[in-house]
Amino acid sequence: MKSSLKTRLTALAAFAALAALTAVLSACGGSKSTAAAADTTSVVGVGAGAKKVEGTPVKGGTLVYGTDREPTCLDPHNFGDMPQTYVSRQYLDSLVSMQPDGTVVPWLATSWDISKDGLTYTFHLKKGVKFTDGTDFDADAVVANFKQILDPETESSTDLVYLDPIWKGAKAIDKYTVEIDLKRPYSPLLDVLGQAFFGMESPKAMARGIKENCVSPVGTGPFILKDWKKGQQIDLVRNDNYNSPPADANNQGPAYLEGITWRFLPDPSVRWQALKSGEVQAIFSIPPEDFAAAQSDPDIEVQQFTHAGIGHYIVLDDSEPPFNDIKVRQAFNYAANAPAAVESAYQGAYPVATSAVSSGTPFYTSKYANLYPHNLAKAEKLLDEAGWKKGANGVREKDGKPLTVKWIYSTGPGETPPAELTLYQNIQAAAKEAGFDVTLVPQPQAKYLEEANVPADFDAEPTYWNCPTPMCMYIVSSEETYNQLFANMSKIKNPELDQTLLAAAATTDRDKQKTLYAKAQQIIAENAYWVPTYPEQSLLGISKSLKGVWIEPSEGEPVFSDAWLES
Amino acid sequence: MATTPSITHGGALEAPPRRRVPWRTVVNKLLGAILVLWAAATLCFVMQELSPGNKAIAILGGSGARPTQHQIEVTEEKYGLNDPILQRYGSFIGDLATGDLGTSYQYKQPVTSLIKEQVGPTLVLVFVSTILAWLISVPVTLWTAGKGRARSSLGSGFEAFFAGVPPYWLGLVLLVVFSFELGWFPVTGGTSLDALFLPSLTLALPLAGFLGQVTRDEFERGLKQPFAISARTRGASEGEVRRKHVLRHALLPGITLTGWAIGATISGAVLVEVIYSRPGLGNVLVQAVSNQDLPVVVGITMLVALIYVLVNLMVDLLYVLVDPRLRTQKAVA
Repeated sequence: MKSSLKTRLTALAAFAALAALTAVLSACGGSKSTAAAADTTSVVGVGAGAKKVEGTPVKGGTLVYGTDREPTCLDPHNFGDMPQTYVSRQYLDSLVSMQPDGTVVPWLATSWDISKDGLTYTFHLKKGVKFTDGTDFDADAVVANFKQILDPETESSTDLVYLDPIWKGAKAIDKYTVEIDLKRPYSPLLDVLGQAFFGMESPKAMARGIKENCVSPVGTGPFILKDWKKGQQIDLVRNDNYNSPPADANNQGPAYLEGITWRFLPDPSVRWQALKSGEVQAIFSIPPEDFAAAQSDPDIEVQQFTHAGIGHYIVLDDSEPPFNDIKVRQAFNYAANAPAAVESAYQGAYPVATSAVSSGTPFYTSKYANLYPHNLAKAEKLLDEAGWKKGANGVREKDGKPLTVKWIYSTGPGETPPAELTLYQNIQAAAKEAGFDVTLVPQPQAKYLEEANVPADFDAEPTYWNCPTPMCMYIVSSEETYNQLFANMSKIKNPELDQTLLAAAATTDRDKQKTLYAKAQQIIAENAYWVPTYPEQSLLGISKSLKGVWIEPSEGEPVFSDAWLES
Repeated sequence: MATTPSITHGGALEAPPRRRVPWRTVVNKLLGAILVLWAAATLCFVMQELSPGNKAIAILGGSGARPTQHQIEVTEEKYGLNDPILQRYGSFIGDLATGDLGTSYQYKQPVTSLIKEQVGPTLVLVFVSTILAWLISVPVTLWTAGKGRARSSLGSGFEAFFAGVPPYWLGLVLLVVFSFELGWFPVTGGTSLDALFLPSLTLALPLAGFLGQVTRDEFERGLKQPFAISARTRGASEGEVRRKHVLRHALLPGITLTGWAIGATISGAVLVEVIYSRPGLGNVLVQAVSNQDLPVVVGITMLVALIYVLVNLMVDLLYVLVDPRLRTQKAVA
């Protein structure tokens, strides 16, 4: 799922400069905000999963949590944007719970069988679970959930991207057994179903239609959605009858917290100050400029989570000149010096990525990472070989055409924060030395949507894609998704890559999966289909008074059902 | 023109026109208002048509979504996006006339219910800011206008500075100083009462600057007018002349400006609401614009147009109350 996980100003673009000014002013005022992170950390693949916590849990108290973006609909089956999955986790349970290594443990499903051909998944459901509107959780409810996801009226995006190509049907075998049939084998199914995007909702509530369900969805989860004051907060209260936590939760009963006030604080510095002043006890997305201060603050715990998926990357249009030539793509990767660009733009708060999938992804291998360390000589040589000769003012030319790269990015509010733009400019400057004439073209959101569309009108474009499985390489690179909007944006056509990934999906043998996913990472890296930049990060800032918070690994959802407030 | 009516016309002429309701004027004004709203609606529709991008994609989530071709087709059908333009214009205007602003692309909720939810905090903010602006600008004018060079330039310096300060900058400065550093006000804002002061002040100070500049000009002119001189000759104290005669005279342009200012303050609220994490139309509008949620953009635009029209009607009426000369003139006309 594409989302805003980086620190983003949701205000107008003009705020960018002003935020810097705020930083200067607050520095003048003697605040402790630090200019740059001293030494960091390439945190890799850590941060997720339940941890044993010291101390005795205390019951009671309402947590105030400050997050950046507000969801548009509280039913995560609709659309499927990151803010939806974060908040839904608090009131919806899923069938299974994913572990950092890509295996799953029971949740609403106590066990499951997978047929030999990988086409039939049979889930055995937990008994005695009720939705908070009193409806029974049973096989019919699960079937109703998939029916709602697939109904065009629901306007699902994220869920449908996973299900549409593989789905055949779901049926209730008996009251607590449900069978899912697939058109073709898809071994990452369990990981995918672990996301709160596939949280189970009350059939009675869903029957009201998406309009009602967007504002008051009903689940079996540890909290109950009480109220949504748009533009301000969502109020969640404890589900006192909660009896369906995932197997990996520390707390197997109702939540300790009485409730959660889910506050929307789009401005990063406001979020950070709210945490420091104690108005909120936890925040999502610590601003990069305050990251070092947060780490050294004894009253604040920092949890850093590296998302699984493709991470943040620069899409290259591989179907047209200049990037339809592998040598030009490789040259661009050699020249771009993306790791240095990330380091300087994000002041060390973000690790760098050099591979096809993020280091937080199951079956990630470092073997094909860093294939293109900064090397101007190699870039020059490859471009010479490809027939792009140095012309006047350093820009290369071929058949009288200059080596121009039209790099588009969205100027929608919060879409391109200042640090992100610095990253682009760093790459632009580095690529220029090899003779690439990169033009950064800011586009208003509407224009951007049009140009990023099919047929695409760009040479390069930044994007990102979080998902719990390396199989999403298929979504961004297959012939099947070639014409799907915002999916295979690089316009990759590589039958070998397609077959490798489909073979990985067809086996449940983890060793075979490992080999095949590694091969896919190799193909993508060797073909230099895109420029990896950094893995998507979730940075939680947590007050020391709040204990037991953990981040689940499928989408980086914060888990508060295990958390308690120390008085 | 320059003297009080009682001297020129005598008491008899004064009373009747004051109570007569100028119905023809009211009807004309109302028709004019409807025409303005219709024009605004048509402009909105044209803007909607001309805005680039695929509306079905915007409905399905914009660049965050990966819609299938089938989904796009279903959505276009469901929202009538492929209907002929005149048919869409007709149903748009028809729906508007019945108070139906359509369904939000992002929230899947009726735009009217979204506006109903969000209009309260914005109106409170705008209302409090406007009052605060007057509470600041009137004393400043009274204390500094026509009171010698030093005081006068202090006053006009204050006004020029705040009239020129952009609200988003002022908002950030106030937030950093009073919330982040001094901790006098909450950082997280919201709709609580103590979180209303800084946002209101952010909008009120620039407005006070504007109002003050206009009021001061008029005030200083008023001090030299024959009616002020005649009041002085009747033995009124200088303070009395300033407060009772000259101020009343000087308020007129400011009141006219307030009509415009309320509209402008709503636009300013867009920025202030985001800075102070306040719910309200501004916040919703920013989200709607960035996500191409056209029904919401159009709905809020229509609401602002409606407020402009209503406020201007009210200002016309206020004029009549504050300025007795207008009552006479209107009655005669």
